[in-house]
Amino acid sequence: MYTLDNISKDVAVIITGLSADCPEIIRQRFLDLGFVNGATIEIFNVSPLGDPVAYLIHSTVISIRKQDAKYIMVKDKTSAAPL
Amino acid sequence: MNNNLCDVCELNPAASLKKMGNSKGAADFTIALAGNPNAGKTTLFNALTGLKNHTGNWPGKTVSLSMGSYGYNNQHFKIVDLPGTYSLLSTSDDEEVARDFILFGQPDVTIIVVDASRLERHLSLALQILEITSKVVLCINLIDEASRNGITIDLRALSRDMGIPVVATNARSKEGLPELLSAVNQVATGQIQTVIKSKIKYSPELRQVIDEISTVLLQADPALSSTRWIATRIIDNDTHFINLLQLGQASPKITPAVINKAQLIARNYINKIGSSYKDEWATAYYNMCSKLVQGAVTVKGGKPSFRLDRTIDNIVTSKIWGFPIMFAILGIVLWITIIGANYPSRFLSDILIDKLLPLLRDGAAWLHFPAWLSGFLLDGVYLATAWVVSVMLPPMAIFFPLFTLLENLGYLPRVAFNLDRIFKSAGAHGKQALTMSMGFGCNAAGVVATRIINSPRERLIAIITNNFSLCNGRWPTQILIATIFIGSLAPRHLSQTVSMLAVTGIVILGIGFTFFTSWLLSKTLLKGEASFFTLELPPYRPPKIWQTLYTSFIDRTLIILWRAVVFAVPAGSVIWLIANIHIGNQSIAIWIINAFNPAGVLIGLNGVILLAYIVAIPANEIVIPTILMLSTLVIGHVATGAGAGVLFEGSDAEVGKLLRAAGWTTLTGINLMLFSLLHNPCSTTIYTIYKETKSVKWTTVATVLPIIYGIIVCLAVTMVWHVLN
Repeated sequence: MYTLDNISKDVAVIITGLSADCPEIIRQRFLDLGFVNGATIEIFNVSPLGDPVAYLIHSTVISIRKQDAKYIMVKDKTSAAPL
Repeated sequence: MNNNLCDVCELNPAASLKKMGNSKGAADFTIALAGNPNAGKTTLFNALTGLKNHTGNWPGKTVSLSMGSYGYNNQHFKIVDLPGTYSLLSTSDDEEVARDFILFGQPDVTIIVVDASRLERHLSLALQILEITSKVVLCINLIDEASRNGITIDLRALSRDMGIPVVATNARSKEGLPELLSAVNQVATGQIQTVIKSKIKYSPELRQVIDEISTVLLQADPALSSTRWIATRIIDNDTHFINLLQLGQASPKITPAVINKAQLIARNYINKIGSSYKDEWATAYYNMCSKLVQGAVTVKGGKPSFRLDRTIDNIVTSKIWGFPIMFAILGIVLWITIIGANYPSRFLSDILIDKLLPLLRDGAAWLHFPAWLSGFLLDGVYLATAWVVSVMLPPMAIFFPLFTLLENLGYLPRVAFNLDRIFKSAGAHGKQALTMSMGFGCNAAGVVATRIINSPRERLIAIITNNFSLCNGRWPTQILIATIFIGSLAPRHLSQTVSMLAVTGIVILGIGFTFFTSWLLSKTLLKGEASFFTLELPPYRPPKIWQTLYTSFIDRTLIILWRAVVFAVPAGSVIWLIANIHIGNQSIAIWIINAFNPAGVLIGLNGVILLAYIVAIPANEIVIPTILMLSTLVIGHVATGAGAGVLFEGSDAEVGKLLRAAGWTTLTGINLMLFSLLHNPCSTTIYTIYKETKSVKWTTVATVLPIIYGIIVCLAVTMVWHVLN
């Protein structure tokens, strides 16, 4: 299990949840935007300066900063690890 | 007329649609229009009501809602356009407005507009609304775009699975509107009874708490509706919502005592479980979305590729092309505005000042107005107002539509995306790039535009720093002074280039002050408070040109112009009065100028400039005419001016001659350019800042901070100048 800020391009992963240290206000915003357990997510494109990164999630493109992406835990699509 | 046969044919259900704009009168039904951002909600709203909507404040709310009306089957439907939101679960202003309206406003029908290509996300909001009310029609919009993406939607299956009417539309071409109106009508009149089939499944523990709280609420008022939803808000301890409950908004029988009882149950549960319920709710909604999508949507090739968006984004957000394209677009927009505005400005000034003013003067003479009265009314009030209109209207009428076109095309969010990294390092928000660019057109509009920034701290930073974007009203001053005092220092063939470089330098300095101030505020007055950035990069869509022109003119240009005119009237009278009322042997203006002069000279300016900036506060556009008029008073050059208190302009050469005669040097020119960038915002902007922040403190900070900068910078330049010379 790793976090969204270090996934590689062109590989879709599955969100397993938000980490416990994610501040409440950011957590709510992420939940509103569908960063929930089981959602498939991949990198759509990267901004010119490398941060923020835009992700394709629930068929829309949402960009977030790397410092916030580290609160989002993901796993490989094929991995059978428990959630 | 343009009525074709289809429009009036009885077989065409759309024939019974009557757009009623913002017609007053009692409505038979109230319809709420809800949906995600970028679902085409506004296009649908306009297609139904015919653009002539108005914004109104819902009682107790500061965020204004667009309202309009239409007639259908001889019934009058009032339709309210709610703010576009992703969810109803958090506590941003927009979400509170949307859910308060759906719950407490009790619309007869709520139309939920969703993007056909993005049901997986958009249905989540629909499911949340279905927890509040069952009187819903689902409008699957942008259906043509979906078929281009290879997406097919089984409307019947979706309608069956959700238990509500589902209609496919393409609001742009008005496809599907008859079916939508008919469905809305049937739900409103009760011909269709909706039965929600897609209730969210919570875990047994959570379900039990919701049931317990619901029981408490229903014991107090058996007729209470949306009980399950109210229970979830109490569990979430949503203070805004609970306040409204305590005021009896849902039912007078739900007393504070009842709420306390419910809160107690909720608190016990949270103490046991923690806040994982939030994740559970959101996950439950999105799981249900996936299930619905699986049952009703088929995509050619497995999943939509959004290839066009990806291709465009790979260019406009690329490492190499991202920034050059951005600066080129902003540069072109500003260039078109500055150059393009000259012609209509000249035309307006020709009519309002050169043609109409003499006629008015003749009229005043014919009516035997005393000289002071016609001077005051015409040379003072009328001239200043006409001046503001003729110089302010054209640039705004060019800049705002261009900006709105870029916005509706989908490009502007990419600018925020490209620049967020830089703004973040100054403690600010990427969307400030947009409000800053808007500020190059008009600071008041830039301040209003900060509404798109959803975290309060970053929004305040964007509001306070907007004034450092050189607005349209200041560009002409910069260009004029740079041409006279700086361009003239260079060899003739280079002079234009040198003046443009000087103006560009001022703009860049302004951007520098924006970042410096953002950083300063986020380290001092506004430090702490978590900040985050989430931004949707919406699909690129061709904008509707005429709709854009119309709405940007009404929503942005006219509102700002009106505010400016309101301030121009008193300023015009003050300018005329101080130049014409004499105390002792000289006018009030001269007394003030003489009093200000030592301080002015100390910072490399003069008394005339300081007074001009005070009396010309309504609009930066009238600073130069005021300076010229005051200068003629000082040097007593009656021949050059148009008379005491009468604003005027001249060619660059004439203006240069007059200013040099009034003692201006290159230093005065440089410092005026700096002071034009670094001084208080115009009164329209100050008023707008107050309207947006509702805070005297922050309005004062935004007003005074730039003046402090201006004085320090001008003083420093003057000292260096005197050392070097």
